[in-house]
Amino acid sequence: MEKSTCPVADHVRELAAVLEEERITVARCRQWAVDILRLMKDVASGRGGPEHFPAMTDLAEKLAGECEDPMSADLGNRVLSGLREHKEVFLSHLETLNCPLGDCIELSPAPCQMACPAGIDVPGYVTLIGQGRDGDAVELIRQDNPFPWVCGLVCTHPCEFMCARGRMDKPVAIKDLKGFAAERAMSAGSYRNPERAPDNGRKVCIIGAGPAGLTAAYYLALKGYRVTVIEALPMAGGMMMVGIPRYRLPREVIDREVAMIEDLGVEFRYNTRLGKDTTIDALRGEGFEAFFIAVGAQSSYKMGIPGEDDFPQVIDAIDLLRRVALGERHSPGKRVAVIGGGNVAMDAARTCIRLGCEEVTVVYRRSRADMPANPEELEQAEEEDVRFSFLTVPVRIGGGDGKVTTLHCLRTELGPEDASGRRRPIPVEGSDFSMQVDAVIPAIGQTVDKTGLDSLSDLNWSRRNTIRVDRASLETSVHGIFAAGDVVLGPATVVEAIGGGKRAAEAIDRFFEEIPQPKMPPVPVRRQRLGFLELSASTKMTLARAEMQMLGYDRRRITFQQVELGLSENSARAEAKRCLRCDICVRCGTCVDICRDKMGVDALHLGYLNFDRPGPTDLRVAAERCILCGACAANCSTGAMRMEDIGGERVLSLCGTVLNRLELEHCMECGTALGPARYHDFIRKRTEGVGTDTGEKILCMACARKAAAKAHGEILPPVA
Amino acid sequence: MAFKRGKRVVVHKKSRDESWQPYMDRFLGAHGIVTDPDATKNDPDALIEVTLDGEGTHRFPQDCLRLLEK
Repeated sequence: MEKSTCPVADHVRELAAVLEEERITVARCRQWAVDILRLMKDVASGRGGPEHFPAMTDLAEKLAGECEDPMSADLGNRVLSGLREHKEVFLSHLETLNCPLGDCIELSPAPCQMACPAGIDVPGYVTLIGQGRDGDAVELIRQDNPFPWVCGLVCTHPCEFMCARGRMDKPVAIKDLKGFAAERAMSAGSYRNPERAPDNGRKVCIIGAGPAGLTAAYYLALKGYRVTVIEALPMAGGMMMVGIPRYRLPREVIDREVAMIEDLGVEFRYNTRLGKDTTIDALRGEGFEAFFIAVGAQSSYKMGIPGEDDFPQVIDAIDLLRRVALGERHSPGKRVAVIGGGNVAMDAARTCIRLGCEEVTVVYRRSRADMPANPEELEQAEEEDVRFSFLTVPVRIGGGDGKVTTLHCLRTELGPEDASGRRRPIPVEGSDFSMQVDAVIPAIGQTVDKTGLDSLSDLNWSRRNTIRVDRASLETSVHGIFAAGDVVLGPATVVEAIGGGKRAAEAIDRFFEEIPQPKMPPVPVRRQRLGFLELSASTKMTLARAEMQMLGYDRRRITFQQVELGLSENSARAEAKRCLRCDICVRCGTCVDICRDKMGVDALHLGYLNFDRPGPTDLRVAAERCILCGACAANCSTGAMRMEDIGGERVLSLCGTVLNRLELEHCMECGTALGPARYHDFIRKRTEGVGTDTGEKILCMACARKAAAKAHGEILPPVA
Repeated sequence: MAFKRGKRVVVHKKSRDESWQPYMDRFLGAHGIVTDPDATKNDPDALIEVTLDGEGTHRFPQDCLRLLEK
């Protein structure tokens, strides 16, 4: 019986094939077909809404009725009849966001890919790196993220939290692998731009050259739009350039990836601030029809303590990082206090160390365990001799003659948990003390600077001082204006801004094409299904997570040289092989259940399959117990578990990891390959006492029947 | 800090915060992992990033989340 396929996936394939082969040549009809495909892909990836079905029907009717070329009309009729015949299936996809046949693979990407705010096909590029195809890996990443190198260095890697390998030992070093591939591809000249669609003559203006703005520029340029990016700073990169210190992200990395975007024809206008150097109305006058606001959250919160505004040595952390990124190397003082416990505080403190400050103290009002900074940031700061004063709250900045001399503080103790689960710091009476400092650097959070945006009177703002958008389509309250990144979310991550920029490009394209916007953010799209990397169970088990090489402490303290030195080629290729390929194995556990409960063998110890409560995993146990019956492989719905006869052996593998291999026995009469001896012993034990056996002879079913028939033939009927 | 990186959480109720969007209704009851907490100032009002099992990564107001483990 032929395997049934999902009509939604069938239509996606058919439309894509017709368009790829350029069988529709009339521009208007082709555009309708493209729009149907786009809507159909929404349905196949769980992004559709109630208006998708009528919109597809409407477009298909146009294709069938208004196009004179027979190819278009024929395609329109086929789509129309498919929509009518399988209406329930389409509506079920839209309502349940599930493909019962599992044919719409986008509905079930791997957990790491699902976790990525940019939706990168992680198992795909990790496999390509394992195959040594770094350029292809970068090409795959850039389908969802135009900054593989930047993210390979500074991504917060939510993917690694969801990595199934982390349930076995440690997660795959996904971020480091991405950085490795991007660097290698750039060095080898295989980091290339895809081909740009022909110019469609429509102009889009992007305000802000940070990760969100640049990402939107990249994907819009690829779609053929004329994109102009307006940037207040003299360079592109936004917070990647002026908020992340160079020892974490070298400027050359940003410049190289921005140059790739510029190569697509994107125009940059630097030193141009909205509201000061230009306005939305002036830009509309230049012919821009859509706008994307991605100005970030560049303004710092105030501490609200006396003395904060009285001395030039009180420099907010964002301003300090910006100045240093733009080339300033003056030390803010010999003794510096950084106020705050977040990542920006760590960056500011580590930057001060590199500027030659003799004593840098982070002042934080809660305990070490409550610090919101990433643990690795905190550890690296400690390694570089940054000091910490926990349970301390600054109350006043003192000084004279225009110079800071003292930071007056109180000790705190943590009170009981409040409704939000936090233990509030309570000042201890009489615990006041002073720290002798030359500079104070507050790092207590950022907010959006509304300058320039306040002229848009119809633009809705949230109570968090961020732009209100429909989070699915990123549309603001002003027609034709979209927004994403920190200006919408508040201070967030680079990869979230990139994801927002990509979605904004798609939304702006829909805005121009006048097709419905999605009703929820996109589900990541699986880009391809790659073959497995083969290795033994023992190797898979014992490969340890690749260790990042780090710059020596002394050099870290005095230069802005990159601290993380990258993976070596050998360790990167080995690291890629640790991936468990959750894009193929959906961790349903059927193989384990069948082996243990139905066959009674219990050869598969795959405790990592249980995400919340992982048990012990040992892939090597299979070689000791597995009888190679094939029940697991026969019941695997995704093809992850395979049993094959290779070179006289029967081999069982899970996503390329060889779990067991045993020599085959052959039929002694005809030579047909049979199972291994261990399997035959298992069967023999189970069938003991049932019928006659063939003695020492090993025969296939056909030869066994022949032998039995011959034996019966020799029995003479009784004589009457 | 209530929601730390790597902690398992559940979306246990709708939030009354303005940042709650209609599509988030379908996440009620979903489990996930905190992947980017408020990494700046430990603010109960900040939106935090959570990766939901099988549902992708989203930013939520903290009042709709509950820790599954202490």
